[in-house]
Amino acid sequence: MTPQRVTPLLELRGLTRSYGSLTAVDSVDLALAPGERHALIGPNGAGKSTLFATVAGTLRASGGSVLLSGQDVTSLPEGERARRGMVRTYQHSSLFLDCSVLDNVALAVQRVHRVAHRCDRAARRFRHIDTEARRHLDSVGLLGRAQDMAAALSHGERRQLEVAMVLATEPALVMFDEPTAGMSAAETERFVALMERLPERLTVLIVEHDLDVVFRLAERVTVLHLGKVLASGPPEAIRADEAVQRAYLGSARTEDLFAEAGGER
Amino acid sequence: MNIKAVKAMRGGTHVPSGTTPVSEPLDGDSACDSGSGSERRSGGHESGTGDSAKGPGRRRAVVAVAVVALLAAAPVVLAPYPVSAMSRMLAFAVLVLSVDLLTGVTGLPALGQAAYFGAGAYTAVLIGIHITSDALVQTLAGLVMGLVAAAVTGWVAVRASGIVFLMLTLAIGESVHQVADTWQAVGASNGLAGMPPITLFGGPPLLAAGFVHWWVLAVAVAVFAAVALVVRSPYGRTLRGIRDNEARMRALGYRPALARYGVFCLAGAVAGAGGALWAQQARFFSPGDMGFEVAALALLSVVIGGPGSLWGPCLGAALVLLVRDNLSASIGGHGPLVLGAVFIAVVFLMPRGLAGLTGARLRGLIAARGARLRKENAS
Amino acid sequence: MATYLVSVLNGLAMGSLLFAIALGLSLVFGMMDVLNLAHGAVYLVGAYVAVALVADGAGVAAFVLAVLAAAVAGAVLGGLLAALTRATAHHLDQALLTLGVALVVGEVLTLAFGTDVHSIAAPEPVGGGVTVLGETYPVYRLLVIGFGIVLAVAVYFLVERSPLGSLIRATVADRAMVAALGVNTGRVLVGVFAAGAALAAVGGVLAGPILGAQPGLDEKVLLLALVVVVIGGLGSVRGALLGAVLIGQVQALGTALLPQYASFLVFAAMALVLLLRPTGLLPARTAVHA
Repeated sequence: MTPQRVTPLLELRGLTRSYGSLTAVDSVDLALAPGERHALIGPNGAGKSTLFATVAGTLRASGGSVLLSGQDVTSLPEGERARRGMVRTYQHSSLFLDCSVLDNVALAVQRVHRVAHRCDRAARRFRHIDTEARRHLDSVGLLGRAQDMAAALSHGERRQLEVAMVLATEPALVMFDEPTAGMSAAETERFVALMERLPERLTVLIVEHDLDVVFRLAERVTVLHLGKVLASGPPEAIRADEAVQRAYLGSARTEDLFAEAGGER
Repeated sequence: MNIKAVKAMRGGTHVPSGTTPVSEPLDGDSACDSGSGSERRSGGHESGTGDSAKGPGRRRAVVAVAVVALLAAAPVVLAPYPVSAMSRMLAFAVLVLSVDLLTGVTGLPALGQAAYFGAGAYTAVLIGIHITSDALVQTLAGLVMGLVAAAVTGWVAVRASGIVFLMLTLAIGESVHQVADTWQAVGASNGLAGMPPITLFGGPPLLAAGFVHWWVLAVAVAVFAAVALVVRSPYGRTLRGIRDNEARMRALGYRPALARYGVFCLAGAVAGAGGALWAQQARFFSPGDMGFEVAALALLSVVIGGPGSLWGPCLGAALVLLVRDNLSASIGGHGPLVLGAVFIAVVFLMPRGLAGLTGARLRGLIAARGARLRKENAS
Repeated sequence: MATYLVSVLNGLAMGSLLFAIALGLSLVFGMMDVLNLAHGAVYLVGAYVAVALVADGAGVAAFVLAVLAAAVAGAVLGGLLAALTRATAHHLDQALLTLGVALVVGEVLTLAFGTDVHSIAAPEPVGGGVTVLGETYPVYRLLVIGFGIVLAVAVYFLVERSPLGSLIRATVADRAMVAALGVNTGRVLVGVFAAGAALAAVGGVLAGPILGAQPGLDEKVLLLALVVVVIGGLGSVRGALLGAVLIGQVQALGTALLPQYASFLVFAAMALVLLLRPTGLLPARTAVHA
C-alpha cells in the first residue's frame, strides 16, 4: 500500500513523551505516505491525545523525532510547523468568535498569501484574498453565512468553519483531533461527507472515538495502547486483530465500541 | 493566565449549539446576513468584504462630514476660549485613538501611551523653540519620536498580553514620566515654556486660536482616517484575530508578538502626533501633561466610548476632558474625583461595554438570537 | 568607600520599604490575577496618617499609634478593594475599578491635606545619627533596615512554613485546583488583600521620615512596587524580596551617581531582567502564562 521509495510525508521515529515517571507516549514509530488518510485510535488513556499534541508541537517531545517530508521539525513550535504545512484542529472549536465567518477564513488565507501585515489598503480591496476565502467557505458549505459572526454558528457549523480555516492554510498535512465529538448523528454524517470530499493530495491524520467514522475514512489505522503502537495496518486487518480486540474489551467493558463496529459489517 | 481566564469566561457564553440546522444553510441566512452586517458596521468592526448594504456606510459618511464641518465652523461662531478647549480635546482624542488601537482593536489594555504622547510633545516644543515654528515639521517630528520611543521600549511589553501587558505599559509610562520630571534638558518638573506660535508653509505666525484649531483639526482628521484604514486593512484583521484568539493565530502560523510590536509602534506614532498637537495649541508642555492620570483618562475614554469603535473613544475623549478641564470649576475643582467615580460606575453599570472588549461579541450573540428567532417564526 | 556604604545602606532601607509595599501587590496578583492599581494610593493614605498623627518632635508612642492607625486604614481599604474587585470577574474591569479607586483616594487626600509637600520627622529617640565607618548615618534608617529583615523572616515563616502559607502558595500555583479541592479561597483572598494593603499603608508611615508625603507620590511608589513585582516574578514572595533589594540598590546608586537618570535606571533594570528572564528572577509559577 505504501511504496517504500516515497519519502513519508509525516514520520515519527521513537517519539516519546513522559510526564515525570509516567510515559504517556512510548517510542512510537509511524509513517504516513503523501495523501494517506490515517486514523489513530485506542481505548481511553491510550495516549492518543498526548501523541497528537506532541506531533502537532503543542507539547514538547521527551525523546525521538517528528519529520515532515523528511525534515526534522521536533524542536519547532506549533506556529512554525503550521508555516511548513502542518496544521491541526482543536477538540473544542478554536475560532475568532468576534470576527465574521469570512474573516475567520480570510485570516488563514492572508497569512499564506503574505498580506497579513499590509495596512495600506482596506481588506476588501485585496480581492484575491476575499475570493479564496469564499472558495474555502463554499467547499465546506458555509458560504451563505460568510457575513455572520462566528459566535452565531452552531456546534456543527463551527467544525465546518474550522475545516475551512485549516484548508485555507494550504497544508500538506491536516491533523483532526476528535472532529465529531459532541456532534449529532446528522452533523456527524455531514461532517464525514465533508471529509470524504477533501482534496486527494491532502495527508490526513485523525484521532477519533467513533469507529464507524474511522473505518469509513481511514486507509490505514494505528491502534495505540498504553502509549505504544499495538497494531497498524488497513482497517480490515485491524478489525481482525486479536490483540486489538483484547485491548478494547479489556479496558472498555461497558461500551464495547469495537465489537459493535465489527458487528455492523 | 489571562488568556486562560478569558477563555474560561467565553466557554460560559457560547451560543447554544445545534439550534441552527446545518442542512439548510441558505434559507434564513440572507436575512441574518444583512442584519449582522449592519450591526458590525455601526460598531466599527468592518469586515471589509464590501457586499453588504451600502446604506449604513453612506449614512456614516454623511455624519462624519457633518461632524468635521461643525468642528471646523467652531472658530467662526465661538469665542477663543471654547475653541482652544476643543483643540485640546482633538489632540487628546488622537492620544485616545492610539490607546484604542491597542486596547480596542488588538485587545491589549494600555496604560503607557502618555509616555509617547509626551515624547511627541517635548519634541514639538523643542523644535519650536530651537529650530522652526513650522507646524508640519513639528508634528512629523513628534510622530517619528513617538514611533521611535515605542519601538525602543515596546519590545518589553509586547511579549506579554492581558493584565501583564497593562502592568508593563504602566511601568514604562511612569518611568518615562519620571525621567521627564527630573531631566533638566526638558525643564524637569517645570516643563518647557516659551514655544513660539506655529506657522504653516512659511506663512505668518498663527496667533488666533481659530487658525490653530483648524490645523489641529486637519491633523486629527488625517490621523483618524489613517487609523481607520489600518483597522479595515488585512493588518487590522490580524490584530482583531490576536484580540479574539491568540493561540489560534499562532496555530495558523502567525507570529502574534511581531504583529503586536507593529501595532505598538504604530500606536506610539499616533500618540506622538497627538502630543505634538497638544503642545502646539498649549505652546507649553510639562510632565503633568503626560502622567499617570493622563494615561488613565485616555483608557477611560476608550472604555466609555466602546473599545474597538473609533468614533466612540473620540467622543469619550471629549467628554472626559470636558469633565476634567471645563466642568471642574463648577464642581469645585474636583474633576479627578468625578472621573474616578465614573471609572467605578462604568465598570458596574456598563459591564458588557467593558468586559474583555467584547462589545462586538455581544452583537454577535444578539445576531445569533435574532437569526434563531427568525427561523422559529418562519417554521 | 564610605559614600558607597551610605548608598548601600540607603538602598537597603529603600529595599525594606519596597518589600513591605510590593508584597501585597505581588500576592494579590499571584492569587487572583488582580492588578491593584490603588496600591500606591493605599501607601499614600499611610503617609498622610503619619502627617496627621506624628507632629515634629513626637515620641515613639505617636509613631506607633500612626503605624497601627495606618494598618487599620490600609486593611479597611484593602477589604473594600477586595469586595469591589470580587464583584466583577473580568481582570481588566478589576484593574479599572482599582484605577478608579486610586483616582478618588488621591483626590480626597489632596482635598484633605492640600498640594504641599509634607515632611515627617522620625520619632525623637531615633531621630539622630550614628557614626558608621566615619560617616554619620541616621539611626532611623538602620531601624527600617531592621524592620525589613524582621518582616522578611516573619513572612518567610508565615508563607513557607505555615498551613495558611501553603494554602496561599497553592492558590498562586493553581487557583482552580485549590477551589476544586473544596477549599473556600474567598476568605483567604480577602485576608491577603487586606493584609497586603495594611502592609503598604504601614510602609507609608515608615517611609514618611524618608520620602515625606505629597500628591503624586502614590504613582511613584506604585511604579517602584510594580517594577519590584515584575522583576521578582509575579506572586513570588522570595521574588518580591529579591526585587525590592535590587531596586533599592539601583535607586540609591542612581540617586547618588546620576540623580537625573535614577528613574531611567529603574526602567533599564526592569527591561534587562525581562530580556533575560521574561517571567522574572524567581517566578512563583513554573509555566509561562502569556
